[in-house]
Amino acid sequence: MSSSREVRSPPAPKMKGLEQSFLYQRRQMAHAQARELAASNARTPLHEKDFQAEFDKIQEIMNEVGGVTPLPKTPRSFAPNLAPPWQIRSPQAERMRELSMNLGASECSRCHEGFEPNEKVLNSNGELWHPQCFVCVQCFRPFPEGVFYEFEGRKYCEHDFQVLFAPCCGKCGEFIIGRVIKALNANWHPLCFRCNMCDKELADLGFIKNAGRALCHECNAHVKAAAIGKHICYKCKQVIEEGLLRFRGEVYHPYHFNCASCSVELNSDAREVTTSRPGYSANQVNELYCLRCHDKMGIPICGACRRPIEERVVTALGKQWHVEHFVCAKCEKPFLGHRHYERKGLAYCETHYHQLFGNLCFVCNQVISGDVFTCLNKAWCADHFACALCDTKLNQKSKFFEFDQKPACKKCYEKLPIELRRRLKRMHEEQAKKGSV
Amino acid sequence: MGSMEQGSVSCNFLSAKMAKVKRVIDDARDTQNPELDLVDKGIASFEEMPGLFALANITRLSLSHNKIESLPPAIANLEHLEILNLFNNHIEDLPTSLSSMPNLRILNLGMNRLSKLPRGFGAFPVLEVLDLTYNNLNERALPGNFFMIESLRALYLGDNDFEFIPPEVGMLKNLQILVLRDNDIILLPKEIGDLQRLRELHIQGNRLLVLPPEIGTLDLVGSKSVLRMENNPWVTPIADQLQVGVSHVIEYIRSETYKYLYSRQMAAGVPPPPPISDKSKKISRKKEN
Repeated sequence: MSSSREVRSPPAPKMKGLEQSFLYQRRQMAHAQARELAASNARTPLHEKDFQAEFDKIQEIMNEVGGVTPLPKTPRSFAPNLAPPWQIRSPQAERMRELSMNLGASECSRCHEGFEPNEKVLNSNGELWHPQCFVCVQCFRPFPEGVFYEFEGRKYCEHDFQVLFAPCCGKCGEFIIGRVIKALNANWHPLCFRCNMCDKELADLGFIKNAGRALCHECNAHVKAAAIGKHICYKCKQVIEEGLLRFRGEVYHPYHFNCASCSVELNSDAREVTTSRPGYSANQVNELYCLRCHDKMGIPICGACRRPIEERVVTALGKQWHVEHFVCAKCEKPFLGHRHYERKGLAYCETHYHQLFGNLCFVCNQVISGDVFTCLNKAWCADHFACALCDTKLNQKSKFFEFDQKPACKKCYEKLPIELRRRLKRMHEEQAKKGSV
Repeated sequence: MGSMEQGSVSCNFLSAKMAKVKRVIDDARDTQNPELDLVDKGIASFEEMPGLFALANITRLSLSHNKIESLPPAIANLEHLEILNLFNNHIEDLPTSLSSMPNLRILNLGMNRLSKLPRGFGAFPVLEVLDLTYNNLNERALPGNFFMIESLRALYLGDNDFEFIPPEVGMLKNLQILVLRDNDIILLPKEIGDLQRLRELHIQGNRLLVLPPEIGTLDLVGSKSVLRMENNPWVTPIADQLQVGVSHVIEYIRSETYKYLYSRQMAAGVPPPPPISDKSKKISRKKEN
């Protein structure tokens, strides 16, 4: 494990404010309005006409405190001890300068020559310059947009300053102005140094080196726990050393919860109680109880094994059952959520219910899956409904006669001996009479 | 000359009939139709059905309303046959091989001239429905293993000559339908009470005075059950209950009162009432007449 080390670069005590860096401003803009800081820094670069107002303020401050190097008011919250760069080129400002300063005693800070009465004079932090002397010490060109960086008393244009002194970000490869994160043998923008797993910014949180990656503390704990086969508490994200508690599908330290009934802090013996409320999934409304309260609550008892049911409860036949104990009364296989049929206080699977209680085809003796013909106290598959005497197929429109509770087509019935038909007829008449009584 | 003409006409008739049967069999062979219908074709013998036994794959053979007198043992070669319907023929004898048919589930021998069944008839491995309605069978005509067809779920013995039903009937554990209509039955065995899956019992048109109280243990009065018991010389209490309905009869025979009455009736040795119907005109007897 190692920790980040922050350094400021370059180490010179006097450095241009970051807000003067166009590069930095561009990056800040790109890095999101979400950050208030960035947002406030993302203001457009200072233009000459703005300088007037700033200059007035500076003058006021100078007048009040005398000789002290004025600090412009900037909204920046970091790097406050860096002297801001300042330069004025506006003729209007120069005129004011002429009025307020004793030019006769002044000389150019670079060439140490005096100033002609009508010559332009530049003032920067109380130092005066010939305009042609106010240039980058590296490229001898005026500072673009008037922005310069100062290092060990020398002033550089932005480009040369960065080339000479600024470190490169290990992620985006661009120069880093301002805060530099030195970690994992590289330099990083604060916004570029993030957790390898969750992408969280690590600059102010610290990080942990894990297999050459930078991870936040949480991700590192996860990786570590996974490696040693332990769970991570869903709430505090710490490894659960022993005694975990499962609740609504997640894993926690038991001590984050209290019993829903007696409010005692829970241990790993606590029970999640399934409740149901219309419109909610079971996970949304489950509650946690300590073992004591759980046992006092009237936990359902399985109708088969007489033991308490702690997981899914099946309610059927006016009793409650363990899922695996709610079985067909015939084959004793659990229904496991499949359809069951109830009869005389017993439950049956589809096959055995039909086998025992009907809707088996009289001909094929199989459960009837499609259309059913039901008559004469029997059932038939549509394909198997036929005359019992000649096997001619019958349908809804066919006329048939009852013969020992079997269907007989008209043709067959008329072939029966007359004495039998007479007996059958008499029998039917008696039954009809009885039925009407 | 005249008689010769007569003979040629009948010969033409016979060949025309056989040609028709042959066409049906050929069709079945060509179309691989597993179900063969030869109903009411005037067939008197299996010899009139050439090529039938070559249809080894048929599952149903319907020969109702013919004049077949005997079944050749080769019928058992149709080993995929599941349904064999011989209703209304002239069969007097059955081959022993019939009982060995491995897939035969439904056998209809109703309205034939059977006076006996072959030895070992009850050896059917998977028979579910056996229809022997309207024959000349009685308890003495049944072979010893008749009630060992454990797979049987329906047994039709209506219009026969039974006076008693052997107690072995209780071995048919899967029996759901038992038809004993229009026999001469004097007494039912209490073993009928062992047929716990029975939901259809037809005992109308017999010589029954009483029912064994064990029948009260069966579910014969539910909405999915049938109990037919009219036309018997029932003892008065049963006859009275029957006037109101069979459910009242069942309720009554479950009572202690009835159990007492039944035991007294058994002990008294009341002579059976005489047969009520004249069966001599049954077509199953035609040969005898």
